[in-house]
Amino acid sequence: MNDAVSISLDGHRRTYQPGEILSGEYRIERMLAVEPSAVELSVLWHTEGQGDEDLAVHHFERWSREQDEPADFRRPRRFQTCLPNSPLSYQGVIVKIRWCVRVRVFLARGKPLLAEQPFQLGSLTAASAALPVE
Amino acid sequence: MPGLARYLRFYGKKRGDRRTGSRELGTFGFGCAYALCFAVGWGLLALILVYWAIPELRVNRDFVRHICRVTDVRLDRAPSGDTYAPRLHVEFEVKGKRYSVWAPYEITDPHMADRDATRKILDRFERGREYPCWYDPRDPQRVVLSRGYTWYTWLMLLLPISLIAIGGGGLSYYVWGWGKSAERRAALAGRSQRLDFFDREPDSQPWFPNVPGAAEVTNSPGTVLAFRLPSAGNSWGLAAGLIGCLIWNAVVSVFAVMAVRNHLAGQPDWRLTLFVVPFALVGLGLVIVLVRQLLISTGVGSTIVEISQHPLYPGGAYRVFVSQAGRLKMNWLAVSLICEEEATYRQGTNTRTVQRRVYQHELFRRQDFELQPRRPLEAQCSLDIPAGAMHSFRADHNQVSWKVVVQGNVVHWPDFERVFLVHVYPSGQGSEAA
Repeated sequence: MNDAVSISLDGHRRTYQPGEILSGEYRIERMLAVEPSAVELSVLWHTEGQGDEDLAVHHFERWSREQDEPADFRRPRRFQTCLPNSPLSYQGVIVKIRWCVRVRVFLARGKPLLAEQPFQLGSLTAASAALPVE
Repeated sequence: MPGLARYLRFYGKKRGDRRTGSRELGTFGFGCAYALCFAVGWGLLALILVYWAIPELRVNRDFVRHICRVTDVRLDRAPSGDTYAPRLHVEFEVKGKRYSVWAPYEITDPHMADRDATRKILDRFERGREYPCWYDPRDPQRVVLSRGYTWYTWLMLLLPISLIAIGGGGLSYYVWGWGKSAERRAALAGRSQRLDFFDREPDSQPWFPNVPGAAEVTNSPGTVLAFRLPSAGNSWGLAAGLIGCLIWNAVVSVFAVMAVRNHLAGQPDWRLTLFVVPFALVGLGLVIVLVRQLLISTGVGSTIVEISQHPLYPGGAYRVFVSQAGRLKMNWLAVSLICEEEATYRQGTNTRTVQRRVYQHELFRRQDFELQPRRPLEAQCSLDIPAGAMHSFRADHNQVSWKVVVQGNVVHWPDFERVFLVHVYPSGQGSEAA
């Protein structure tokens, strides 16, 4: 993660229901030594836990210096998407599903910068607490 | 000089939620493995074509039939000393020029371990007699005394073709993903999935990504309740097990027969015997497991589970009908609703799958009873999905599954368990209970 990039969700919400609109903005906070060559914004879910990671992107925007109009990423850029019916955020025992907004800034040199803003889709309770083995 | 705190790890390991090792290094490793697979496939293909397939094609299509005189025969021993091939000294004349050469019996010139079988081929030829032969018009010194197609030459082609397909496919995917972020790759893959969905008939069904389709459960109507649930793939597993067991034991029996023959002939090959024994034991184990599974499948009658509504929703209440046929004396039979998480991960070169039961509720139990033919046990019970429960979820490496499980403990018979998948959808999408 990097503090050079910030993401904020409208109304500082943390929980959304399927079908609701998720909107917000992101920007590059400070002057970078190297101009970005590409910037990607994704609204995605990924798994955590014992298994290999699964990842699916629900909403994706990409700007690249070679293909798009010049852009100033120090000014906030808005995004908006209607959230899907599934999968809902889940805190399982060996499978966990996390939703987040992720911004990846590719630089001409060096590692890309990465920022994430997690949020919860749906309101399931944790598996171990809500569903005890009888 | 300071020592290394830890060694560089070339492969990843799972430690609970944490993975060690480098993802980039892993991806690069896979790319190299696919490239190697691709290259080896082409190398093998070239080898098989040059040494077996093309000569065999040529001998059958281009070689000229002729008559030669066999003047001598001998057994050609391979440099390793364990295999033999027949050699025949032949004389013949082509366009006024006389040729005198040691010819192989077949163009591919296979060397066999069975010396007697090779000798038997030579015994078919008498010195001084004439026999048909086939010579290469480009080089008449190349002559054989038998032609035809061998099945193993063409079967061998499957190996390089498979390697080329696997290596080529993997390499293409690797090149396609080169320089793209994980999100961009996933977005491109997801776009084609969404296009597939929008190609469907507009039947007003909302789309639930990563939730298994209800149709795989609702395509069979029930006789008592709305839907008969399909059993989770036991018969296919049994068929696959049977085929695997047959192939394994067929291959092992070839080596076992060779080893036994050597012992009976008074020339025991202990290296071969020691090599065969563990494989034979595994084969025996496979037979035992298969027989046990067959006993469970055929000895215990069919199990039918029907449900009043599908898909299911958290907070919903449903009815389940269970029918157990057979001719058995049972200690108990239980029907349970189970939710399991399943995670698959790679550890080195192995792929492992772990399951964790996160919900289990017994719906029905009967103890100490007897099943009679034509009088199956039939029962109905209620099934409640807890409010706030996780919906069914299926991704490449992780899944959450809901199942109705019928377990039985039979007197003097192995226990049995039959699994019937149900799909739970997220609530709030037409989630009225039955």
